[in-house]
Amino acid sequence: MTVTDAQRSPARTGQPVLEASGVTMRFGGLLAVNDVNLTVREGEIVGLIGPNGAGKTTFFNCLTGLYKPTGGQVRFAGTPRKPKRPKKRKKGQPIQVEAVPVQPLGALTPLSPKPRAVVRAGMARTFQNIRLFANMTALENVMVGRYCRTSAGALTSVLHGPKFRREEAATRARAQELLEFVGLGRSTEHLARNMPYGDQRRLEIARALATDPKLILLDEPTAGMNPQETRQASDLIFKIRDSGLSVVVIEHDMRFIFNLCDRVLCLVRGEALIEGTPTEVQSDPRVIEAYIGTGEDDDEDDVDVQDAHVQDTTIADEENRS
Amino acid sequence: MTDVKTPPAEPEAAAQPPTKPIAWPLGLAGVVLAVVGSFLSWSYDDRILGDLSLNFYPGGLQILAIIVAVLALILLLAERGPLTRLGSWLDATLGLRVLGAGLVLYMALVLVAISTDSNGLINVNPGGYVCLVGAVLLAVSAWMLPLRQLRDMSEAKLPGWAEILAIAVLMAAVLFVAAYALGLQDAWSFVLCLIFIAVVAVALFRTGTLTWIGHVSQRHRKVLTLAAFVVAFLFPFTQNGSDANMSIANQVLIFGATAMGLNIVVGLAGLLDLGYIAFLGAGAYTAAVLSNSAFATVGWKPPFLVVMLVGSAVAATFGLIIGTPTLRVSGDYLAIVTLGFGEIFRFSMGNLDGNNGPNLTNGPNGIPGIPDLELFGFNFGDEHTVAGIDLGRFSNYYFLLLVLIGFVILVFARLNDSRIGRGWVAIREDEKAAEAMGVNVFGLKLLAFAIGAFLAGLAGTIKAHQDAAVSPDQYQFIESAFLLAAIVLGGMGTIAGVLLGATILKLLPEKLRFFSEYRLLMFGLLLVLMMRFRPEGLVASRRRQLEFHEEDEQLAVAVEEERLVVEEAK
Repeated sequence: MTVTDAQRSPARTGQPVLEASGVTMRFGGLLAVNDVNLTVREGEIVGLIGPNGAGKTTFFNCLTGLYKPTGGQVRFAGTPRKPKRPKKRKKGQPIQVEAVPVQPLGALTPLSPKPRAVVRAGMARTFQNIRLFANMTALENVMVGRYCRTSAGALTSVLHGPKFRREEAATRARAQELLEFVGLGRSTEHLARNMPYGDQRRLEIARALATDPKLILLDEPTAGMNPQETRQASDLIFKIRDSGLSVVVIEHDMRFIFNLCDRVLCLVRGEALIEGTPTEVQSDPRVIEAYIGTGEDDDEDDVDVQDAHVQDTTIADEENRS
Repeated sequence: MTDVKTPPAEPEAAAQPPTKPIAWPLGLAGVVLAVVGSFLSWSYDDRILGDLSLNFYPGGLQILAIIVAVLALILLLAERGPLTRLGSWLDATLGLRVLGAGLVLYMALVLVAISTDSNGLINVNPGGYVCLVGAVLLAVSAWMLPLRQLRDMSEAKLPGWAEILAIAVLMAAVLFVAAYALGLQDAWSFVLCLIFIAVVAVALFRTGTLTWIGHVSQRHRKVLTLAAFVVAFLFPFTQNGSDANMSIANQVLIFGATAMGLNIVVGLAGLLDLGYIAFLGAGAYTAAVLSNSAFATVGWKPPFLVVMLVGSAVAATFGLIIGTPTLRVSGDYLAIVTLGFGEIFRFSMGNLDGNNGPNLTNGPNGIPGIPDLELFGFNFGDEHTVAGIDLGRFSNYYFLLLVLIGFVILVFARLNDSRIGRGWVAIREDEKAAEAMGVNVFGLKLLAFAIGAFLAGLAGTIKAHQDAAVSPDQYQFIESAFLLAAIVLGGMGTIAGVLLGATILKLLPEKLRFFSEYRLLMFGLLLVLMMRFRPEGLVASRRRQLEFHEEDEQLAVAVEEERLVVEEAK
């Protein structure tokens, strides 16, 4: 399999957004993640692969502050002091609707392991098993995502003060815009629990995007999707990347991951096995071994990796749940 | 609803059980008998149940029977006759069944009441029996009439003025029935009146009229709110200067306002608070010690507006103090801690009497003799006359409490419909996910606690002056339990539901004194039944309903369709 996706453009390697060094997570006697390093640069798509139980989701949880890592450090390009002011529009110039406005990166600073601090710093995530607010509508779900970027307090909310009205209108407009961005513009008023599976996945991405992240972590965004939905998902991820965000994806679908990612990190039993370009990882014998066991007389073809993925996804749902 | 604009429905669906031709005339005969019977004398004794002993001069309870019969007549005519267009919208048969069965129950209870109050069935006059027979005929005919295919109520639209008129008529009916029911002195009459209200309400619900009213009120929300407040405002004018009912009404309002405050904590933020009455107490005690009472222990006598602020600030501070350490635990633990806090408050107030610590509250004696409020030169103890109707002391407080409850409702509704309200829903739905999306979970819970406490403190400052005394035993655990019961009974997270629940829980024990010994038993039983059959409460908030029925796909689809209709209407 060769990578021949037209959409694939060379990564604009910018400065690092996220730098995790020596992240270690120990649950009692179990070493779930051992000394994993990962650097994500601006505008990059990084894949995270590995067999079930390799510690991918645990690593995600360490990054996003749901777990407090027992060792190592996560550093993130913090928000600069003054956010960029929107330039004044000249007369007659069309409104530039930037779906995901990106602010310039600050210097790398250590990230406190609290989910809220992580989100405020600019790292958002989705969950392996969808965790939407099931009884809220699609629009409301995305509006919740805007919570951390708005600040209207109780007083102005009760009085319907100017700040409340301005923020509420902006939140609604932005949520609508994001729903259109992920292709759900027509189902804003649908209850999340009534939506088809693929739409729920996309809604979760929209909700994460609503927090204005610089880096978005997607935990198995195509689990349980058919080939067409998978293709749409990868289009969406390219679209997110093209708007200037960095993306980290956990996925079992090898074709998907090798098409999509600029770099791939393979975790096995909590340790980083190899990190490199898709071609490098794809052809590494250790990766194939990790997936399908020690080599019999299989020629080292990536078809095997494909087969491995088929077996793998069937039990993917039983993987460790966060 | 008689001139529905959209074209009438298609003829009923083909597959219908054969209609018994006798059903409709039988129903008509039942209605006629019920009306005629109501004009005849029901009871030989003229001292019971109002006066039901005169022929051709119906008493109050007889008029209620006539109203039920007339409603049945309208539904019969909608079934077949001049109002069939109405019948294509209303589920007339279901309504008739309710009215028939309800009227039978009503008349049977009337006979029981007459025989118990005046020694035996011998005292029942023929009118009562005629009416009972009419009721039975009506019920029988209703069960023989066929059910019909109906159209969607959300499409039933009238011109705007007609819908507003419908709201006005409904509100006027509510006012008259409330005034009438409260005016009844003896327990039997009150029970019978309650049954009448229940029968009519269920019939309206079953025919779909309530659904229609729901859609109308969605379309004219402001009109409805305004109408509700106008009705509440007019209530004292129906009492002819009598303070008995106004005192009950004030208790209901204070209880309702406090329950609405607790509704923010329980219904919106989803936290269980079993010591909420302590915040009401904190406000009341603050107002008492800062009042002009001879027993007040603090020398500072600020104007009442300042007292209100101080009292609610004290309560909110208590909320923050109790909330900061405990809101990190959840569920049962929180319930236990808040319960403990409520008891600590009560014991502290009972012990701060100078023997153990400073004399702040006079201990178990409390602080009596709190003078009436004086706001802007108007003394709330004064009687005055408006349009020939005397308004006493309780009426004055009633108007103030009305403003208070309006404020509490405003705070509740606007918070619910804001960024903060969305955060609360997200926390209730999935706390972990909410946190991962950047919602300040702890801060929002604390905010709910503080705002709830603030509003209860506000209500407390007025309560102290209205009761003219505070003492520790007013703030027992059972009061917190009743507040919670009002919310669960009425419907968590709703305004109308909680007000309804508070009214039921406060009004019934006041009017039904004979029942007060069993009230805990009754309410316990009621709550168990509610939990089994309708956990979302009498008036269900849509979102809560979905949360309680997670498996019910049909409900989810129905709710969604309803939302879409509302969105389109905007």
